Amino acid sequence: MMNPLIPLFVAVPLAGAFLTMILGRFITAIPRYMALAVLLFLAFISFWSLVVGGDGSSVYTLGGWEPVDGVPIGLYLVHDGFSALLLCLISLVGLLSVTYSVSYMARYTSENYFYSLFCLMIAGMNGVVLSGDIFNIYVFLEISAISSYALVAFGVEKNELEATLKYQILGVVASFMILFAIGFIYWSAKTLNIADIRTVFSAGHDNRYYLLIQLLLLTGFGLKAAMIPFHAWLPDAHSSAPSPISAMLSGVLIKAVGIYVIIRLFFNMFEVTEGMSIVITTLGALSMAVGVFLAIGQWDIKRLLAYHSISQMGYVVMSVGIGMILMARGIRSEVAALAITGGIFHMLNHAAFKGLLFLNAGAIEYSVGTRDLREMGGLAKGMPVTSATSLVASLSISGIPPFNGFFSKLIIIVAAVMGRFYFLALLAVIVSIITLASFMKFQRYAFYNIDPGKIRNDIKEVPAPMLLSMITLAVVCLLLSLLALPGLRETVLSPATDILMDQLKYSSQITGM
Amino acid sequence: MNEPLAILAEPSACWMLQMLIMIPLAAGLLLFLVPERFRMAKGILAMAVTLYAGYLSLGLYTSAKQMIMQGETVRQGCLTLFDFDLLQKAGEYLTFTVDGLSKLIVLFVSILAILILLYTIVYNRTAKVPGYYQWFLITLGCTYGAVLSDNLILFIMFWGILGITLYKLIPGRDEESSAAAKKTMILIGASDTIMLLGIALLWRLTDTLSINGISLETNNILTVTAFLALLVGSFTKAGAFPFHSWVPDYATNAPASSSALLPASLDKLLGIYFLARITNDLFIMTQGIKLTMLIIGVITIITAVLMALMQHDYKRLLGYHAVSQVGYMIVGFGLGSLVGIAAGLFHMINNALYKSGLFLAAGAVEQRTGKSDISDLGGLSGAMPVTFVASLIFAMSISGVPPFNGFASKWMIYQGIIDFGAGDGIASSLWIVWLGLAVLGSALTLASFIKFIGGIFLGRREPWLDKIREVPFLMWAPMAILALFCVLFGVFATEVVIPRLFTPVVGAFTFNGLWSSSFVSLLVLISIILGLLIYLAAGKKKFRTEESFIGGETVEKLGASYPAPEFYKTFTEFGLFSKIYKRAEAKAFDIYDLSKGAVLWLSERLSSAHTGVLPGYVIWVCAGLIIMLLIMI
Repeated sequence: MMNPLIPLFVAVPLAGAFLTMILGRFITAIPRYMALAVLLFLAFISFWSLVVGGDGSSVYTLGGWEPVDGVPIGLYLVHDGFSALLLCLISLVGLLSVTYSVSYMARYTSENYFYSLFCLMIAGMNGVVLSGDIFNIYVFLEISAISSYALVAFGVEKNELEATLKYQILGVVASFMILFAIGFIYWSAKTLNIADIRTVFSAGHDNRYYLLIQLLLLTGFGLKAAMIPFHAWLPDAHSSAPSPISAMLSGVLIKAVGIYVIIRLFFNMFEVTEGMSIVITTLGALSMAVGVFLAIGQWDIKRLLAYHSISQMGYVVMSVGIGMILMARGIRSEVAALAITGGIFHMLNHAAFKGLLFLNAGAIEYSVGTRDLREMGGLAKGMPVTSATSLVASLSISGIPPFNGFFSKLIIIVAAVMGRFYFLALLAVIVSIITLASFMKFQRYAFYNIDPGKIRNDIKEVPAPMLLSMITLAVVCLLLSLLALPGLRETVLSPATDILMDQLKYSSQITGM
Repeated sequence: MNEPLAILAEPSACWMLQMLIMIPLAAGLLLFLVPERFRMAKGILAMAVTLYAGYLSLGLYTSAKQMIMQGETVRQGCLTLFDFDLLQKAGEYLTFTVDGLSKLIVLFVSILAILILLYTIVYNRTAKVPGYYQWFLITLGCTYGAVLSDNLILFIMFWGILGITLYKLIPGRDEESSAAAKKTMILIGASDTIMLLGIALLWRLTDTLSINGISLETNNILTVTAFLALLVGSFTKAGAFPFHSWVPDYATNAPASSSALLPASLDKLLGIYFLARITNDLFIMTQGIKLTMLIIGVITIITAVLMALMQHDYKRLLGYHAVSQVGYMIVGFGLGSLVGIAAGLFHMINNALYKSGLFLAAGAVEQRTGKSDISDLGGLSGAMPVTFVASLIFAMSISGVPPFNGFASKWMIYQGIIDFGAGDGIASSLWIVWLGLAVLGSALTLASFIKFIGGIFLGRREPWLDKIREVPFLMWAPMAILALFCVLFGVFATEVVIPRLFTPVVGAFTFNGLWSSSFVSLLVLISIILGLLIYLAAGKKKFRTEESFIGGETVEKLGASYPAPEFYKTFTEFGLFSKIYKRAEAKAFDIYDLSKGAVLWLSERLSSAHTGVLPGYVIWVCAGLIIMLLIMI
């Protein structure tokens, strides 16, 4: 089945980015509404594609170049169960961030650049998620990365510029490694199409090159996904960016260009081997554990949130890694499926609650003018909506029922125990507890902790568009819990798990064999 | 709206069960939409819902009784409400169970909830938490849900939501109460997460999540870990050592309407309910586990009561007693015998009755006086007679004075320990230790309640307390009812209460030795009457009052009274104790503060590596790659 909407995922935001830039010069109000319209359209088609194309994958051949003798020669955009979820995530969080920006960015100058870069970043991420060959992944990755460098620096103050410098340099190191690995791949496989590479490599390969390629790609995309020890850019970059951008970076970007690509490549391009799966699981567990310890000591809200992104992505990678180990050993495939589902589910949930938390942090900064927890307090009175929504998000990320984080953590812990990874299960529990502790700290110092008489009376709730975004995400946090129900899980999450578990299906549908 | 009424005319247990959980939850969510201005209307709606839930739980208690007598558990899919598409295949997770234990707990949850809500409607407006009624109803619905669920995942969901309501029921405005709220949520949330591990292990070991379907031997490391993980959940909820430390903080800072509801009654019922499930249904205890439980039980009794002895703040004092009493229940369950289990359950019910009563009384005193320190109060017995008499009854119950209910259940626990001594193994051979410490704990409880009663209600009344009046009817009536329960459960323990309420739950058991509660009560009554007669016959006017003076100087009236807490300084200043007390005050033994210290220490070490120097970060990236390469190639 060919879904004609697929190229629009990249084309529309790309066109939006340039039109915004040009038209915004003449009419100042255009950029924000244009960006809103673009994201609204993307949200619509991504959910439509998820619902309609839920069980099947569709491949779009750019320019209609058919494979020759089973060798794909054109540019392929692949929309399957896994990328469909990511597209929904990108457009939903993107839409809410833009809505939020309408009020939030009013304080900044040159709004048209902001919305233009925003659309460009969306285009890049959509491209990464849809692209069927590894070189285009790299190209789109750079598009989104470069626009995010600019967006991090959007405030052009001292901190922002320092943060973006670190982000760029480390990002370039990663890009270089990725490019290096792509070079190796092209040299040894003579093709860049993911499906084709899979076919070529499974026919026979030199094991040492194979491992080198894998490790270079893991390092490169691991840096984009902020796995420890490649995480150092993240706390600075995510905390310095304007809050809607932080929500995009932490909520979506590290997943789309980091986690997604790692999962996609290591399941559908490389064969799942036990050695690599253990490395991936270790990276995940390490990020999960170290990230949370780094987070709990922070007093700057956005830095605290940023470190938690590392830790939560650790959950995702660890869980998927557990699934990979079980697959490589060829045992307990049901548990492997459960682990992978848990990881993907947690990734979706993280987008919702971490996006919401960054929007909350932005709302606090907007009203109070500080990000330091020690300088706030008693905000629950002046900002009831922010307080309530941030409680929802905090409880979600800490894994308290009935919010979404509880269910994904439940699945991850159950899968770890079922797969006999008792230590990892215990680690996941401990990390979850420390996460709860650090979010209770956030709740206490930001919203309470002051005698009722001493509360500042000048604190006001933020404007309506920002409230709308926060409330919507809070509702999403609750609704995503429904995905834990077996009926919904099988229709929404299982296609993604299947495409990863059934390793040859991905290749066969592209090469047509 | 005719259809529900039609069903109402023919109530089945299944339908009642669904309504019991759904209606409070739905009403609670609905109340979020009602502005806080209409407080009274919200209260009345909540009362109506609670009364209806009480009616349903009574119906459930009576109607399903026959099935218990047949020895089978009523278990229904209860999915008639839910059979739309969304929940397809979710049926296996939505199982509920109605057996003797859950019916009993549900009944008492309803009774306590009605009484506490009655009290709350007229309770101090300013102290009450915003949104109290919706959180109250959600608490109620989730408590029913947790008690009635059979599936462990469903259970942990309801159980976890109760952590949120606990967090929201403490106002958390100022520094101290927000710290207490934070600590409570962290400890409760942590225990819930640890329980997840236990549930996952159980699932892995037995392939089922049904509480009724699991019965594991605790013979290897995995089963013991699962057991301990679930035990942590139960202990934290009930407030047992070493996870108890949220209870005193919560009790100090929360208004009486909240602390009487959760830490004093519902959380105790739930925690001990789950303890009963763990020890009786889910696992078969070995001697080693029994020993562990007994040790934890007596440690809980003794340490908490010692901490209670030195408290000045009466709410904090009650908080420590709320911990101490849990120790008795744990000892009861740790015995593993039928008497022990029955005693544990009986003590759980009794404790919920008198402890929520005590918190309500404390709330009444605080509302009228505005003071929370015993030293500031005194002589309120005349001004607040009902509160005084009720508190006296509660205090004697908790201290185990016959003929009140606390005595009856503690006596059963002592009997259980003596029986247990006849068995084999190290835990049994140490029976005299358990017995001695349990009795000592009871004596110390009495000692600290003399402070509570004496310091607040007796002694000399300060002049500024002259205008104090009794609290309104709706506030004292619940206390009076609870006190009545305490008396009745004590006097008719062996004749009515145990055979009717507890034998159906645990099965028939025999007492060691001769004991009839009514006869004992009669003896106590006779001795009191005799005492009174002697007192009256001797003539009550044969004493004189004099101005006190020291060295010829008349002493100022106010300075001549000794605040009750002063008498207890002996304990805190006594040799070895003084050091321990000092460290305990500094929270050196609090698992929360200990682990917080460790986590923050590690956090600092890790953070100090993040210097912000870019070349260093690039080196990390390269080092990471090189290490991976070295390992893999």
